[in-house]
Amino acid sequence: MTNSNFSRRNFLGLAAGAAGAAALAACGSSGPSDKSGGGSSKGGASYWSLSGPPGEAVRQATVERFNKANPDTKITATFFQNDPYKQKIKTALGAGQAPTMIWGWGGGGLKSYVDANQVLDLTDWIGQNAAVKDKILDSSFGAATVNGKIYALPIETVQPIVLFYNKKVFDQVGVKPPQSYGDILDLIPKFKAKKIAPFSLAGQSRWTNMMWLEFMLDRNAGSEVFNNVFAGKAGSWSDPAVLDMLTKIQALVKADAFEKGFSSVTADSNADQALLYTGKAAMMVHGSWSYGIQQANGGTFVKDGGLGWMNFPPIDGGKGDPSNTVGNPGQYLSISSKASAAEQDVAKKFFSTTLVDDDEKAGWVKSGGVPVLKNADALYTGDDAQYLKDMAAIASGAKSFAQSWDQALSPTAAEVLLDNIAKLFQLQVSPQQWVDAMNGVIGK
Amino acid sequence: MTTLAPPAVRVQEPTAAKGGRSGSVGWMAIPALLMFFAFAVVPLVGVFVLSFTTWDSIGPIHPSGLTSWKAALGDKELLHSVYVTFLIMGLSWLAQTPLSILIGVFLAARKRYRGILAVLYFIPLLLSSAAISITYKALLDPNFGIGAGLSLDFLNQDWLGNSTLAVSVLVFVVSWQYIPFHSLIYQGAVRQIPTSMYEAAEIDGAGRWRAFWSITLPQIRYTIVTSSTLMVVGSLTFFDLIFVLTGGGPGNSTRALALEMYQTGFMANQMGPASAIAVILVLVGLLLAQLLRRLGGKGDESQLEGA
Amino acid sequence: MNWIGGSFGWIWLIIVMLPIYWIVITSFKTQSNYFVTNTFAPASDPTLANYKLVLENDFVQYFWNSIVVSVGAVVPAVLISFMAAYAVVRGSHKRWLRWTNSLFLLGLAIPLQAVIIPVFLIIIRLKLYDTLLAIILPSIAFAIPLSVLVLSNFIRDVPKELFESMRMDGASEWGTLWRLAFPLTRPALVTVTIYNALGIWNGFLLPLILTQSPDKRTMPLALWTFQGQFGINTPAIAASVTLTTVPILVMYAIGRRQLLGGLTAGFGK
Repeated sequence: MTNSNFSRRNFLGLAAGAAGAAALAACGSSGPSDKSGGGSSKGGASYWSLSGPPGEAVRQATVERFNKANPDTKITATFFQNDPYKQKIKTALGAGQAPTMIWGWGGGGLKSYVDANQVLDLTDWIGQNAAVKDKILDSSFGAATVNGKIYALPIETVQPIVLFYNKKVFDQVGVKPPQSYGDILDLIPKFKAKKIAPFSLAGQSRWTNMMWLEFMLDRNAGSEVFNNVFAGKAGSWSDPAVLDMLTKIQALVKADAFEKGFSSVTADSNADQALLYTGKAAMMVHGSWSYGIQQANGGTFVKDGGLGWMNFPPIDGGKGDPSNTVGNPGQYLSISSKASAAEQDVAKKFFSTTLVDDDEKAGWVKSGGVPVLKNADALYTGDDAQYLKDMAAIASGAKSFAQSWDQALSPTAAEVLLDNIAKLFQLQVSPQQWVDAMNGVIGK
Repeated sequence: MTTLAPPAVRVQEPTAAKGGRSGSVGWMAIPALLMFFAFAVVPLVGVFVLSFTTWDSIGPIHPSGLTSWKAALGDKELLHSVYVTFLIMGLSWLAQTPLSILIGVFLAARKRYRGILAVLYFIPLLLSSAAISITYKALLDPNFGIGAGLSLDFLNQDWLGNSTLAVSVLVFVVSWQYIPFHSLIYQGAVRQIPTSMYEAAEIDGAGRWRAFWSITLPQIRYTIVTSSTLMVVGSLTFFDLIFVLTGGGPGNSTRALALEMYQTGFMANQMGPASAIAVILVLVGLLLAQLLRRLGGKGDESQLEGA
Repeated sequence: MNWIGGSFGWIWLIIVMLPIYWIVITSFKTQSNYFVTNTFAPASDPTLANYKLVLENDFVQYFWNSIVVSVGAVVPAVLISFMAAYAVVRGSHKRWLRWTNSLFLLGLAIPLQAVIIPVFLIIIRLKLYDTLLAIILPSIAFAIPLSVLVLSNFIRDVPKELFESMRMDGASEWGTLWRLAFPLTRPALVTVTIYNALGIWNGFLLPLILTQSPDKRTMPLALWTFQGQFGINTPAIAASVTLTTVPILVMYAIGRRQLLGGLTAGFGK
């Protein structure tokens, strides 16, 4: 039973403090007042994309270039981190607050936008602007096409999946890089004997495991099987080549082809990359962007010529074309169908000018990537020249450049896919169970 | 201490008092009610309505009756998620409560360096789930983590890739983050206990252990209920840490209800079933809260004691 | 009892400090030698580059936003929850107050992800999108259920006779709230304040969905700067975490006396 003075004074103090904080917060709302959701301000357009290196700097520069040339119709760019972006864009779309230009990965995700009538059909526009289409690699348009129509412009870079290897480790053990899948199987015990993990794998990330399935199935059976799945043909996964591939993968796991505890490692910490450049692992199947990471984090590893790379080797007796590759045939930009006509025009202008100009090409090469824009060869100079040229050759020389399965399929099916892949590598499901589970979500 | 009113006077009070006595309290609940209504009840009703639709979160919403409910309830994963949720809830309560009490008791004793300890113990609370998961992911890496760092090979387990270990790791990390908080609560509670009670016990010949069981624990009973309520209810909607640390994996061994809901709704684009799961979560929470209130011996709201 | 408590206390200290120690030493490493050296060894080539990076990237802005949001949400939340808890306990003979209490209980287990889209729509309608107030208002609402639950439990602990005597001294309910309930409920108020503050300070989903401009971002979103498309800059994140934690820790160390004062005051029966 104490301090009665305390209460009134403190109450006023508290109230003042809270009111002050709330006022400060409200001050924030006196900012761009017509900013509702992704809507643009003053006759420009809005653009959402991913933040962080290496891409953000290039995207920022692109937008600035456009704004300089078009001061009356500026683009406002906002950048979000990868996973939060996926949630934010869906919330925005669901609430009718999407930005004018929607960045994405094409494929099944794009299809879900199309089915919801959220994105513009660009087929006619591209037909009328053939010059734009000609500047972009043809194979990149596949993932931008839904039901025969084009709904997005391929932009930024192509990212094939590649087999990287540590040359120093190979020399140490006295073996040569594998030329076939059989060679891989031979190499496994040799590296194990020297306590080196044959392959580095970030098993917890799931999509990293998926890359293995993608290549193994393609080398084994060609692109048909997955194309059937993608087309929605019932029971497509029941092709015997699939069971064979799944069994092979589980055999790899049982043979300890991957590093100890691989199911605990995620890709975003780059611990899997570290295994390669520290020589704890001999090889790694990963996206082409790994080159940049190896360079930045591996000290002098890349500079000293320690990093080797090649397309995934063929499987003996497999039907797939050895030039085929998988990965991201591009990144994709769509135009919101709910944006105003003026905003859509700004977007189209962006598409036809800045996004396909030479500075764009140079910017992406500088970031260490292979642009979706054609004829970048002359730009591949310097230390990374050989790598970039090889990547470009893989990308353009591939008979088929398949899109990553989790992007090609609908989000619903993709979730089931990744889930089952994780269980497969955990040896928690049998190949047949995997096939049955996946058949169950075809066309969903 | 104030003096109590002599009984004779009190008998006359009730009749006049029933209507008007606490009449002036109602308005005090209005602000909270309004805020809660606007930002929690209305959205909750929205979610309830959504559970009777089919929606992929970006297109038009299609009313679809019980379709989404059937899909959600029929999914085997749902039952597993409920199991995982209660498993983590139970294990984290078991891990946190005894430890928090012990540490609370430890901190309550007045020794100088314990002041610094209390400050240091508090640090885990200040870290966000993102920071904590990044830290633990690095520490638990089988090749570069704590095992390699301290050269203790048995610490090089497949921490996040083995189902049992993953659950244990989660419980450990949650405990690491929240034991400081609960021990703070217990510390405060223990310091309330009059030393006279302990002195009396000592005179009676009771040892420290006996004193703990017979005096300390009963005296902090209501604190245990409060702390447990916070723990239990908190663990129902537990999401951030699990999401970043294990993503629900390996497989589905750490896929608690909140994760199941998120994955169904935002990753598989099935907002209908996800909303159904959300409604289930709210009902379970309500049930648990009622249960804990009864266990706490507070009894029912309808006691007319105030009159 | 003492030596068990003692040795356990020290073991727990090591368990608590090991990850903290890791965060601090990692903040001085560079990304290139981060994996190469022992994870527990201090940086062989300590560098302040990470801290520089953090400060250059609008750290102060994000920190300030977090402070505004946390204070702006926690103070009103605890205040109105306290009032509501008092009303619910003292007015328990009124049916609508009992219903209100049950309504609050319903809010205990609302998963934020579930209601985020409706909340987003409400914020848009109120024209509050991309403001700090957008984060504050829902945060207050979600803090209410648990706060009311805990606070009402404590208020119920106060003997009825004390309320009676306040009443007979001619005090209004409002006066009783502040002169009787407030001092006696201080431990619970502190608990509830800390609990809510921590939740809101570290809250991620509300800022993500309800704000957009970089200048409205709160600390949890600040970590994005160091999360690239293909990997995270762990040492930079460690620096960011350290920079965020140190000021709060200092505030806590100083304010601890107050806190403990609050915790020891009134249960006085």
